[in-house]
Amino acid sequence: MNMMSATECLLQMCEENFELEDYQSGVPRWCTGCGDNAILAAVQRLCRDEGLRPEKTVFVSGIGCSSRFPHYMNTYGFHGIHGRALPVAEGVKMARPDLTVFVNTGDGDCCSIGAAHWIHAIRYNMNLTVFLHDNQIYGLTKKQASPTSPIGTKSNTTPRGSYLEALNPLTVTLGVQNVSFVAQAVDWIPEVLFDIVKAAYHHKGLSFVRILQRCPEWLPKSLDPWMNDPNKVQLLNHENGLQFSAGLSKVYKNQLQHDPSNMDRAREIASSTDLVPVGILYRNPSVPCYEDLRRSDKLRTAELTSVGLNAELDKYTVWPQETKEKVA
Amino acid sequence: MEADTQAHVAFFLTGRRPSEHLDAVDGLDLRPALFAGYRELTQLRHDFPLVLVADRADKLFVQSLSGLTDSALDVVASGSDGERIRKHVLQMEQEIRALTMGGASGTLSALWATAASRLAKNKNKSAADKSLEDSLRRARAAVKVDGELANCDAALPARLLRHAWNAVQKQKAEAFRKDIDRLVLKLSDILKADFERSAAGRSAKHLKESVGTGYGDAFDFDALSHLLAKALPKDEFPESRRRRIRELLAVLGAQQFFPASDAAAKKASAAKPYSFFFDTCGDALSTFRKRMPKLIELAKAIAIAELEIDGQYSEVKHDALFEQFGANGLDPQDLAPFPDYLVCVNAEQMQAAEHAHLMEILSSGLPIKVLLQIDDILEESPNGEGNLTAGMRSRQIANMAIGLNEVYVMQSSSSNLFRFRERMLRGLTYRGPALFSVFSGASGKASGLPPYLVSAAAMESRAFPAFTYDPSAGPNWASRFYLEANSQVDLDWPIQGFAYEDEQHQRVSEDLAFTLVDFVASDRRYAKHLARVPREKWNGSMIPVDEALTRERKGLPDKIPSVLMVDADNVLQRVIVDARLIREARRCREMWHSLQELGGVHNSHAEQLLAREKKAWEDRMQQEAEAHAAVAPATAPAVAAPAASAAPAAASAPVEQEPERSSDEAYIETARCSTCNECTTINNKMFAYDRNQQAYIADINAGTYAQLVEAAESCQVSVIHPGKPRNPKEPGLEELLKRAEPFL
Repeated sequence: MNMMSATECLLQMCEENFELEDYQSGVPRWCTGCGDNAILAAVQRLCRDEGLRPEKTVFVSGIGCSSRFPHYMNTYGFHGIHGRALPVAEGVKMARPDLTVFVNTGDGDCCSIGAAHWIHAIRYNMNLTVFLHDNQIYGLTKKQASPTSPIGTKSNTTPRGSYLEALNPLTVTLGVQNVSFVAQAVDWIPEVLFDIVKAAYHHKGLSFVRILQRCPEWLPKSLDPWMNDPNKVQLLNHENGLQFSAGLSKVYKNQLQHDPSNMDRAREIASSTDLVPVGILYRNPSVPCYEDLRRSDKLRTAELTSVGLNAELDKYTVWPQETKEKVA
Repeated sequence: MEADTQAHVAFFLTGRRPSEHLDAVDGLDLRPALFAGYRELTQLRHDFPLVLVADRADKLFVQSLSGLTDSALDVVASGSDGERIRKHVLQMEQEIRALTMGGASGTLSALWATAASRLAKNKNKSAADKSLEDSLRRARAAVKVDGELANCDAALPARLLRHAWNAVQKQKAEAFRKDIDRLVLKLSDILKADFERSAAGRSAKHLKESVGTGYGDAFDFDALSHLLAKALPKDEFPESRRRRIRELLAVLGAQQFFPASDAAAKKASAAKPYSFFFDTCGDALSTFRKRMPKLIELAKAIAIAELEIDGQYSEVKHDALFEQFGANGLDPQDLAPFPDYLVCVNAEQMQAAEHAHLMEILSSGLPIKVLLQIDDILEESPNGEGNLTAGMRSRQIANMAIGLNEVYVMQSSSSNLFRFRERMLRGLTYRGPALFSVFSGASGKASGLPPYLVSAAAMESRAFPAFTYDPSAGPNWASRFYLEANSQVDLDWPIQGFAYEDEQHQRVSEDLAFTLVDFVASDRRYAKHLARVPREKWNGSMIPVDEALTRERKGLPDKIPSVLMVDADNVLQRVIVDARLIREARRCREMWHSLQELGGVHNSHAEQLLAREKKAWEDRMQQEAEAHAAVAPATAPAVAAPAASAAPAAASAPVEQEPERSSDEAYIETARCSTCNECTTINNKMFAYDRNQQAYIADINAGTYAQLVEAAESCQVSVIHPGKPRNPKEPGLEELLKRAEPFL
């Protein structure tokens, strides 16, 4: 029986209701038209709707345009070092499992310098919500090719066009052991973006959301073919995944039934290049979280710390008796 | 009527026993025929003795010796010496069973050792001895558990229930202590952090102490203290919060509901934990009430501590709420983490006041678990000698408790307790009162039979049926009431096969019903209701009791109920029964029928409904057949009924209605806005964000048509529709209209 006790009711009676403004902090310095703004709006809406307490919520980021995200959230935040947003977030979660931890990382931060951390964070499957803001270019440093830049992208580092096929963050993530949640969103369909952000937040484990976002400054036309033709966006619907409103379905008619528990199909869909799949590609709530596997039942008391420390230090103690024996 | 039959009828009606026709059964040492095979219990493999396994709060808290032996044999009795090991280990099991039935007590390992040495003594010192030693050693290694052995005797119900209760409470205590330790640590940390921020915490002396002796001279602590005092903000706690936390720590530290953790218990000041085990309902009830204020204080402290640790306690909001905390008592969910009370009482020793206390406990919803042990269900009725009560007095409490609706009720014989072990645990973990009504079968003095056999017979004969009523199992009787533990639950009396050898040494098999009369017949106190019919006087007027019960009695009976019994030499005897016992058997059957109805077996409501529906169906069929017969002779085909009107068009799926917009009107498709700031940068009076941070036209008059067109052009997702200009005098309208065209 899921009845609440009188005490629980009493404790909930005084809970606060939050407004969007409670999560806003400063005016974003992103360029006008930047897709990051859409992600910020969706995440702030999530925080308000879920009643996340600002002092219990942490946004961790690395370096890049996307990584300015924590500055604009009126919660705790950690604007970390390049490529290391995920390990910092894992540390926060391990020490304070009671906090809700989000990670904002960009295509350079996550898929280039932070690629090793990315792979292992997926394998560890800690309860984090990770947003990969993928604008396919290094924007903060004014246009250099990133691992996800489409082949032929002309940039300051590739003036004749980039030579390599773009890395696909979805197929990479789906190829790692213990992956438990992978979704793709686009910044220009805010309704679906919000639904995906919400589903990612509710998933227990590492939820990886790649968000295709426009960079109006350095790659203004790059996503136009998909943005201007709704048929090139394929919405993934399923009773165990997302379901779309009638209004949205009128515009986005290209929809596919996809069961998020089907990994093989998820990999297939993630590999498509002409269409942009939007929705939950894969979800497996039964993958264990690292913090649950490794969390100790013991309270971290002063005594526990001192016993542990002494045991460690004793390994290096030179006992007088042993010394004498050696001398003898 | 023949003289014999006449004598039988006379006995049936009056209990008179003419010696030339009938014998008294006193001193004949008769027992029901179906008991013939159960003369030597040590030879029979059954659930007893049980092993009370320590530190288990799941269904493995008790295991049967035979079950353990079987599991051990599965592991070790394989290969070429498997059969030898099996033989030795089963001998061992029998020896241990004999020891416990002889009164020996102790742990499994201790009795195993004793039994092993006894077995070894009985064997010759030869190779067999070595092989026995080897078999037992290997089997012992495969038995991984240990614990006290318990036989089916008068002490079993209390012993087993207390063992289970201890295991459940221990688990509860561990969880509770962990919680309390966590709260104490976190609250202490809050106070510690407060101190570090205070003037005293930043004093040179304290700073020096915190660095330790090794580097004590390396710093200028006065300067450090001065610097810290100036540089760091002063935000000490209000004194009220500090005081509150100290009070919480005092309450949490002084609680006596569970033993304190090892470290805390060593302190001389540690309070002795309360006991929760009682011998009378009155004591348990008064103690519960006496401890209630302390319980509320602790529950309140835990709730406040959680808020404090979470940084959520607000004096303005919470002080007033917590002032009245627990004024109306605590609900079962709040009481759940605290220990349950256990009361073990014997029905024979209960006085009227104790009965009243028991009912008060059961009806008040308190977390008190009561074991009501009944040793004798065939006690004589206070109404007169020889009258049966057939467990009425003790059974009524369990039946009444079911009527209270919120009490977990378990009724079982001792013999069935092992099968009910999980139900026992469920009752102990149930949030609220629980009643365990157990018949121990220890009225052996009256029957000379072992308690196991008496209690099993009571259950089998429906004199003491086993059932559970679990209010937490679901919303209806089907999910709450469980009766299936009784054998052949859909019959009035269980039927067992019985085979014997007749005078011509031929095997005769028949099915015998085990009725209440069979159970009562084994009790010497009721010998006067029975009369043995000498073999030469056996005749066709004697019929089994179950058959007699199904007959309606009209006038003088021509058939007399009888039961088959065996004497000490296992010779079959036929015993007739008087009307009083038959009346009791009928009463017992009626009570069993009530239980069956509760358990959904032969439910009268369901059967009535079924009969009604069946009749309605038959009537309908009949009418249809008649109608068909009436129509059939007509030669012309029946006029086709007008074609069924076309199926109504499938209800169109609800489609979100979008407001009709005219292309003259300026608007934004707000739901599709991606918050890119383009429009608000152009004119933040005209364009604004809603509560979801998505744009809408806040004031169309706050800007020009040119700005509307510019916003539409720069919108990343093309959701701005500029409409037609409102001011016909706006310069450059012609060009603006051309630009606006794609967005209308």
